Amino acid sequence: MADSPQIKLDFRKSLGSFTLDINCTLAAKVSAFLGPSGSGKSTLLNCISGTLAPDDGEIVFGEEVLYASAAKINLSPEKRRFGYVFQEGHLFPHLTVAQNIRYGQPKPRKSSAAIDVLEIAEFLQRYPRELSGGQRQRVAIARALAMEPRMLLMDEPLASLDSALKARIIPYLHHVKDTFDIPILYITHAFSEAMALADEAFLIANGLIIANGEPYRLLTAPSAMPIAQLTGVENTLFLPVTASDKARGLTLLEIGNQSLVIPYTDIGIGEIAPVAVRAEDIIISLEPDISISARNILKGTIQYLDVKSEYTWLSILVEWHHLAVKVTHAARKQLQLQEGSEVYCVIKASAINLLWD
Amino acid sequence: MRITAAEVAALSLSIKVALLSLIVTFPLGLLVGWLLAKRTFPGKAFLNTLVMLPLVLPPIISGYLLLILLGKHGFIGRFIYQTFGVEIVFSELSVVIAVSVISFPLLVRGIVTGMEAVPVELENAARTLGASPIKVFWTITLPMAHRGVIGGTILGFSKSLGEFGATIMVAGNIPGKTQTMALAIFSAVHLGEDVSVYRLVFISTVVAFAAIWLTERFTLR
Repeated sequence: MADSPQIKLDFRKSLGSFTLDINCTLAAKVSAFLGPSGSGKSTLLNCISGTLAPDDGEIVFGEEVLYASAAKINLSPEKRRFGYVFQEGHLFPHLTVAQNIRYGQPKPRKSSAAIDVLEIAEFLQRYPRELSGGQRQRVAIARALAMEPRMLLMDEPLASLDSALKARIIPYLHHVKDTFDIPILYITHAFSEAMALADEAFLIANGLIIANGEPYRLLTAPSAMPIAQLTGVENTLFLPVTASDKARGLTLLEIGNQSLVIPYTDIGIGEIAPVAVRAEDIIISLEPDISISARNILKGTIQYLDVKSEYTWLSILVEWHHLAVKVTHAARKQLQLQEGSEVYCVIKASAINLLWD
Repeated sequence: MRITAAEVAALSLSIKVALLSLIVTFPLGLLVGWLLAKRTFPGKAFLNTLVMLPLVLPPIISGYLLLILLGKHGFIGRFIYQTFGVEIVFSELSVVIAVSVISFPLLVRGIVTGMEAVPVELENAARTLGASPIKVFWTITLPMAHRGVIGGTILGFSKSLGEFGATIMVAGNIPGKTQTMALAIFSAVHLGEDVSVYRLVFISTVVAFAAIWLTERFTLR
């Protein structure tokens, strides 16, 4: 993705008393816009897709100007060729799945990578009303990809799904990210989804971008706190199940070369378990060999340390997962924690919750 | 009980006029319905009022206004007469015009209701998938609005079959020329021809029933 086109967004749009004022450049493979409802996320996406015209400013994709108020340029949605996945799917109810997918295809073709990646071949002949919510959303994603877009816009694609289904769709989104060589703009109010997918996240509140960076850093950024507090600062991990013991009430997950013990779940071995740990439920130790009742002692390195708020926020790299950890300033000073320090994260099994269950 | 030649003429005229009116008003109805349901433009309220007016006005008044407009000395009638040498009023054409004006609001109402129910989000989704506004109309808006469109068409067609007030004003009641079923029944009642009345009423009811039943059969899945 070295020569992936950059997307420059610099525009304003007022709707009643609300004003969206965006100025940023998207360069990552997956960029997430993260914010509570009413923060202007959907307005932003509609302006990018061309279904809504900004009041002024410009939108540039690579070298191509899509919108420029000064030059009076405003490309219509069909000329922008951005695949758009809507929160409610918006499948055409009077068309079959196959017809929905064919709708945006530049040239009709029987097979399509989108159909394979989202595993929807078996219900091509059905109508949207005959599909479950999760299947509908997979078709919606496939339809947006089948048009061979230059970019994929996703507006809370998981928000209308019930909790258990979200965990099943996430792997498909990863598959899409790996298979299709196009930038993806993902909009969500859930930190967990941004953590799971995005390379860069933009926090948006009241129509303004208030912070941006890698999602795990934002999770511990003081400016993210008002938003993070809506859901709590939770670390979200998607880890494969390696073993399960119903009698002892434990399930084992693999986190790189280490293991994570969680309360028993009936998710099958080899399948992905989505789990969450709150930042304040992780204890930091400098040594691994301590007598303690907690089941998990994970080795990691402090990547990033933030002391600007009431607490010290640590971002600890465990294998390739970032864990946000909240400790007091006193504890940080006593343990002499700093960036690069090797530490052990102590987590009680019971403090790890299965996400969306 | 044998049907008379005059009755056959009235029946076939009614059907012919209703069909002709439908051919003329349907494309126009789609356009006006789409404009009213999906667009905002200056004068929209005026257009809506103009289209709906015949629904509220007594047909006699609509007919009278048409007579003024289309008569040999009327605004449109004079122009047509001077250009083509054709007199519109009291002709078969005037029946088609009268019936079209009266049935048009019903047709448009159905189309507007159907199209308003098509979520703009789906139309926008189609746009983002590369469809032009015209393609969106034919592939999304119209198919999804089909119930409203068909409903409006049935209502408009039925109205055309039975139109009376405006027709008698602009076209008169000339047997074999402008006498439709409704006018034939009116004459028969006046002349006390009870048997003829029963026959015509029966035929009218059967035709109306068949029209609606057939459409329902083809549209209800």
